[in-house]
Amino acid sequence: MECYSEQACALFADGELAADEALRMREHMATCRACRHLLDALRAENRVLSESLSELSEETASPVAFSRFRLSWVWRDLAVIAVLLALGSIFSGWFDQLGIPGALEWVNPFSRSGLTNLVFSVSDYFAHGGTAMLNEYAEAVGGFVFLLLLGGSALLLGRRWRLPRAGFGLLMVLLTLSLSSFALDRRHGEFVTVPANETVDDTLMAAGNTVRIEGVINGDLLAFARTVEIRGTVKGDLVSFAKRIMVSGTVEGRIFDFSQSLDLNGQLGHSIYGFTQVLHVNDRAQVGEGILAAAGDFSLEGEVKRSVDILTSGNADVSGTIGRDLTMTGVSLTLSNTARVGGNLSARVHQLKEVRIADGATIAGKRDIQVQVRESRYARPRFYFHQAVWFAAAMLVGWLGLLLFPGFFRATTQAVGSGWLSLGLGVGVLAGAPVAIVVVALTLVGIPISLMVFAVYLVAIYLAKVWVGAFLGRILLKPSGATKGDWLLGLLVGLLILTIVGFIPYLGGLVRFGVVCLGLGAFAGQLYRASRPAVTANSQ
Amino acid sequence: MDAKTNMAKGPQPSAGETRQMEGLGLENLIERARGHDGEALEEIYRRYVQRVFGLCRYMLDSREGAEDATSEVFLKLQHTIESYDGSIPFPRWLLRVAGNQCIDALRRRQRGLKVFVEVEDGAAIIEAPSAELSPLGAVISKEERVRVRDTIARLPENYRLPLILRYYSELSYNEIAQQLGLEKNYVAALIFRAKQELRRRLAPRSK
Repeated sequence: MECYSEQACALFADGELAADEALRMREHMATCRACRHLLDALRAENRVLSESLSELSEETASPVAFSRFRLSWVWRDLAVIAVLLALGSIFSGWFDQLGIPGALEWVNPFSRSGLTNLVFSVSDYFAHGGTAMLNEYAEAVGGFVFLLLLGGSALLLGRRWRLPRAGFGLLMVLLTLSLSSFALDRRHGEFVTVPANETVDDTLMAAGNTVRIEGVINGDLLAFARTVEIRGTVKGDLVSFAKRIMVSGTVEGRIFDFSQSLDLNGQLGHSIYGFTQVLHVNDRAQVGEGILAAAGDFSLEGEVKRSVDILTSGNADVSGTIGRDLTMTGVSLTLSNTARVGGNLSARVHQLKEVRIADGATIAGKRDIQVQVRESRYARPRFYFHQAVWFAAAMLVGWLGLLLFPGFFRATTQAVGSGWLSLGLGVGVLAGAPVAIVVVALTLVGIPISLMVFAVYLVAIYLAKVWVGAFLGRILLKPSGATKGDWLLGLLVGLLILTIVGFIPYLGGLVRFGVVCLGLGAFAGQLYRASRPAVTANSQ
Repeated sequence: MDAKTNMAKGPQPSAGETRQMEGLGLENLIERARGHDGEALEEIYRRYVQRVFGLCRYMLDSREGAEDATSEVFLKLQHTIESYDGSIPFPRWLLRVAGNQCIDALRRRQRGLKVFVEVEDGAAIIEAPSAELSPLGAVISKEERVRVRDTIARLPENYRLPLILRYYSELSYNEIAQQLGLEKNYVAALIFRAKQELRRRLAPRSK
């Protein structure tokens, strides 16, 4: 009988030969020494292979050399971007001399004077349920953020079908380089000064301890510094993250201000969009359009051609001129003798006596002063209507969320149950996210990312009550099943309770704040857990 | 050494810290893990992570990728474990899942390309000269095993994967064919050729 081929023997050794064939081979083996030898050798070979492989290499065998909860792709991409940026040609060196700690001290949530105030102002604002101002903000930046969000999700989605690593790296480098190639003049140092006789034709990006502009900037000015002083002229917009901004010269565009204090002494062509602790428009100042700002304290001595919308957690003092309406929400409002309001005055305060309007003050339009006394709210049918709409919206959002991201919403609801952990994480995220956003925004490529993160941050703050509500409802109802209906019913009950508790003076605000923290913490925790790439593996 | 043998044999609790879960039998553990018992999942992780990681490390090029795939396997385990029906031993099933994960990762990396492009004559059995069998049959020393391993790791993907699935995961040709989306015959041919290539690469120095 003819001998078998090596391949046939190999199949036999692997136990892969069909039964009848195997039987024949076994018979043959009994008589053929050559084949038996071959088979033995093949088996020995297999054994060696198995043994060699199962004895894992040093590197592999190190026991649990990595954590199960390792950084996910998304985080890593962010890290890659950050590293790329840090290494990136455009900012190297600049980073060293930037002195971030000094320049950013005001956003340090652990410093008393810093962002804490802002954060608490905002928390206070949320606690009081105000959204009107945010809507206006959203209108101003909403479109832009939406586009960025689309781009960002496209990017993240693209990552699902992973670009080859090298390709991704290349793309990022190209992106970095292409961004740096648009007209941009970068300066950094302890003192960045544009002297009076100098004209910068590009957009200037300046970072340092003190940025002083005495000359002319034909483009925009992006300034990151402890102190920003504009004595000259900025023909474009001023975007600034600083502790102190003083404008005594001219800004022909708009001012986007994220700072501890903004003093406007000079001329401004368009509007101020601000998020600041102290906003001061001096008597020599002129604002070509309006002011839209959230500020701790606000004082206006100069002239604003159009409307002023202001949200303050402190006082608003007006002794200057406002061309159109003055809308304020806050603690107190003072209009002095010299104040002039060309349109309507609407103020929302807690106590009527906090609105002081001097006899000499001129208000051309209507005066609408609402005292946000809680008792009075319940008397108005509009209030119930608003609450109903608010409630329905939250339910709708919850339902949509459950429909679109069932796993995530449920898991986040579950995560609320971690209690103190969620709460702690939430407080951290609430205070830390703005800092992270600003730090990321310091890098040019980081600006879109920071805006995306900011959008997610706002959305999460809104959704917090949905998750906490659903959780609350669930522990109260203890539904046996875990159907969508149960979840929604839980949400209904939970939200109802939260809404009602929210009306209790003082305690309500505290509860709302706690809810935001809890929900945000659960969200952050869940986001971290879930952000690993969810590959659709057909794991069978 | 301890850890290694545990790993190879599978479901034995490793010596050391005494934990409540440790004493549990595998069946019990799986049952609890199915009920989304975090501790049980944790224990399964502890028992099999190295074995799974080893597979991923062999199948994927980078340690990073292997770590990703490993965490992915265990992350999904809380869902996938529901489909484990006990028809094959759990370690083998887990390695099959891990193999799938790795193949997915490879496919993704190659942007939708199939890991293997089946060639026309792929299934044809190549009659190799029945060479006297290589040094492979004789190697047993530790150094030699390291060499074998390293050489396998450097084999081209289409040889490496079937070889690893066969001799590390101990899957049958059919299972390998299923995972890789190939004909069984082709898998057999690949494994055969892979061994030949391995012998060739190992030969010069060991002689």
